[in-house]
Amino acid sequence: MNRFVIADPDQCTGCYTCVAGCVNVHQEVGLVAHPRLTVIHTAKVTMPVQCRNCDDAPCEKVCPVAAITFKDHAVQINESLCIGCKMCSLACPFGAITPAATLPEGGGQPVYGGLAEVIDAAVDPLHPILSWTAGQKTVAVKCDMCHFRPEGPECIRVCPTDALRLIDDAAINQSAAQKRAKYSGMLASVYDKSVRSG
Amino acid sequence: MSGVMTVCPYCATGCGMRVSVRGGRISEVSPDPAHPVSEGKLCLKGLYGFRHVADPGRLTMPLMKSADGFVPVSWATALDMIAAKLNAVKRDSGAGAFALTTSGHTTNEDNHLAQQFARLVMGTNAIHHGAPPALGLKTAFGSGAMTNAIPELGDVSDLILIIGSNTAECHPLIAKHVLEAKARGAKLIVADPRMTDMANKADLWLRITPGTDIALLNAMQHLIIKDGLHKLAFIGDHATGFEAVAAALDAYSPESASRITGIPAADIIAAGRAFAKARAAALLCATGIAHDGTLASLANLAVMTGQIGRPGAGIFALRGSANSQGAADVEAGSGSFEPPTVPVNLPEAILAGQIRALFIAGGNPVMSHPDTKRFQQSLGKLDFLVVADLFLTETARHADIVLPAAGWAEKDGTVTNTERRVQRVRATVAPPGEARADWWIFQSLAQAMGCKAMAYAGPQEIWEDMRRGAPAEYAGISYARLDQTHGLCWPCPTEDHPGTPILHVGGHFATPSGKAALRPVQLVDDAEARNDSYPFTLITGRRVYHFGTGTMTRRAPLLAQIGPEALIELNFGDAVALAVRDGDFIKVSTMRGEVIAKAWVTERVPRGQLFGSFHFWEANINEAAGASKSTPAQVAKSSFAEARTALAQKRADYRPDLERAAVARMQASGRAAQ
Repeated sequence: MNRFVIADPDQCTGCYTCVAGCVNVHQEVGLVAHPRLTVIHTAKVTMPVQCRNCDDAPCEKVCPVAAITFKDHAVQINESLCIGCKMCSLACPFGAITPAATLPEGGGQPVYGGLAEVIDAAVDPLHPILSWTAGQKTVAVKCDMCHFRPEGPECIRVCPTDALRLIDDAAINQSAAQKRAKYSGMLASVYDKSVRSG
Repeated sequence: MSGVMTVCPYCATGCGMRVSVRGGRISEVSPDPAHPVSEGKLCLKGLYGFRHVADPGRLTMPLMKSADGFVPVSWATALDMIAAKLNAVKRDSGAGAFALTTSGHTTNEDNHLAQQFARLVMGTNAIHHGAPPALGLKTAFGSGAMTNAIPELGDVSDLILIIGSNTAECHPLIAKHVLEAKARGAKLIVADPRMTDMANKADLWLRITPGTDIALLNAMQHLIIKDGLHKLAFIGDHATGFEAVAAALDAYSPESASRITGIPAADIIAAGRAFAKARAAALLCATGIAHDGTLASLANLAVMTGQIGRPGAGIFALRGSANSQGAADVEAGSGSFEPPTVPVNLPEAILAGQIRALFIAGGNPVMSHPDTKRFQQSLGKLDFLVVADLFLTETARHADIVLPAAGWAEKDGTVTNTERRVQRVRATVAPPGEARADWWIFQSLAQAMGCKAMAYAGPQEIWEDMRRGAPAEYAGISYARLDQTHGLCWPCPTEDHPGTPILHVGGHFATPSGKAALRPVQLVDDAEARNDSYPFTLITGRRVYHFGTGTMTRRAPLLAQIGPEALIELNFGDAVALAVRDGDFIKVSTMRGEVIAKAWVTERVPRGQLFGSFHFWEANINEAAGASKSTPAQVAKSSFAEARTALAQKRADYRPDLERAAVARMQASGRAAQ
């Protein structure tokens, strides 16, 4: 069964620490330095949104090169196989897959004033789809549950307000058991009354 | 566990952190699990905001401005030049022609020697810093500091009213305590024109018109007195001036305040009743209302309801930077000194020829001062400008001499967080090249100018001097005790004193009479009015992922990646009317200047209002903003080509090439010296 990370909007203050932590650990192991979760701000809610690792995942279905597979209770994207076609991004109902450019060999970190350099160097493309940067290719990135970390997802660990948690079999079973207990308690008192008064 | 325990260098929360070092560089920052305020957590600035420390652009030698840019010089040459210039200015125009600005980014010890230099060597009290003491509170309570400790919010308060503070973004770990209070069942009321993440979580959100806070606070007091919810016995025993305050509230019925503030009268009434009836109500405020009158009105509200001097009840006036509180405390004059002169309008004083020489120790006022153009213009009029900083900042580029300063990670000392908690900060790595701590700079300069009184061996000796100078506050706080604790809140008069997390306990205030000095406060409409040409109101502030003018955070790659560029918040309705889509470039123009940046189309701001930050030199909202924090503005859609042209122009103005040339020269000269 699938496992995923989810945020409690009542606890999230929109501080972006999860986003920074996500980039940090992926960069450290040589994966694309791009956040795997996105903080959204709507009129009602601020919270990070990330992959739900659907059991029957639309992204897995549409990937033409089988770069997306379901294993270890999660949907995984092989960044080396990915051809950057963005079909998965279109298919995802949560908007959890974002195309990200890989960085050229040797780092090329954004630095102070980096925006100026980029704008000066870029040639206006005829159409945005034709824009490119030498040495980069686009790949699909999404939450991989930090499968390379024995401690589990880094976003959960760094969140200052404990707004993020891991949902797995145990969490779903526990939540369901609690709700069943609560509901059966309500039912018992109703049944009791109706039997006695009836 | 290995690593050096120190305090986060960014906001005034004072979170505890452990710095790990590998190969002479900071490799990781992790939270201090036992810290009473940050409780084993840090925000992204604390965790990932350290990479600027080893940035290749750090200043490593003193720089002197010459015809072809900055050239590196020795410390001896730089100090002699500054000494000669300052002596000449003092001789020709008197001590009053010199001013010193310090910042909340340096230690208490640095600030102590800065003010000693100004007073003993230059003979002036003209010391300015970014965090003037909260005068409204100082007058009312005899102390301009936050009255309670941060953890009381989460542990005790059953009502929190946030006004003028975007706590979630500006003090994230204090917001955590507010959430803890909510989870405990406390009520949260937020007065903010923007739908910040605190407003979003409020039980009652008062969407207030910018600049009308006094009308809201006065109306709450009007209602409280009308309903008889004020604490007459407490007022009688512990306050003066209540009758005058009550008389001045006549004009502020909830209905009339509703017309001024835009908040429904029923909400003002609900807020007033909830505040007065709460067991322990906390007023959480920050620079959004640092206005003297607003703080005085907050003091009136807290005192008449008895919401002061008890756990969880008081005025939580949040400071901006890591040591803003300490800078204010130290410069207020430890013991024997006169308090600093009331901060004058620095650019106007320079333009009037009153101030001829300026020393800026930390801080980047060319970007952080509102009405930037005017400020830059004033710097051009100075005879002599010295700047000490970590980098060749936008301000340092205007200097005649730039001094390389050691940063937060490279020096020992103490800082005081917003709740008056004095904590030890510790050196983790060596400063780059010949960078030196501010205290050393001021002491060496004093000696170059013939003052032998300043001869300290190091920060601890300076702190011992400060303990003697301000015994009521600091005498009980020794480095040895700080090493054993997570800091102590002043006042701490003796070594067996536990510190004072709560001020004014039992209604005993620090005023000469021992009573709170209440005074009537009227709403002064000093904001420039919107008109047909400038139909928007521009408000300014911070984003969570950057700090100040971005000098440190924009050089931390992770933070720069998350916050790569300036965004100006624009309401959906206005965006439709202007045919602007999310991410389009817009041009915001005011009477003072214009800024081009991407639009963030959002409901965070109401129609007719705009919000921008001052973190980005290429789109610094302070170039358009006035001093009142809400400036009339107009908005136009802007093309990418126009944005690019504006950026090119900006680059020419700010001349980032200066930094590259100076760094290259420093490196060349460093190699030559070896």
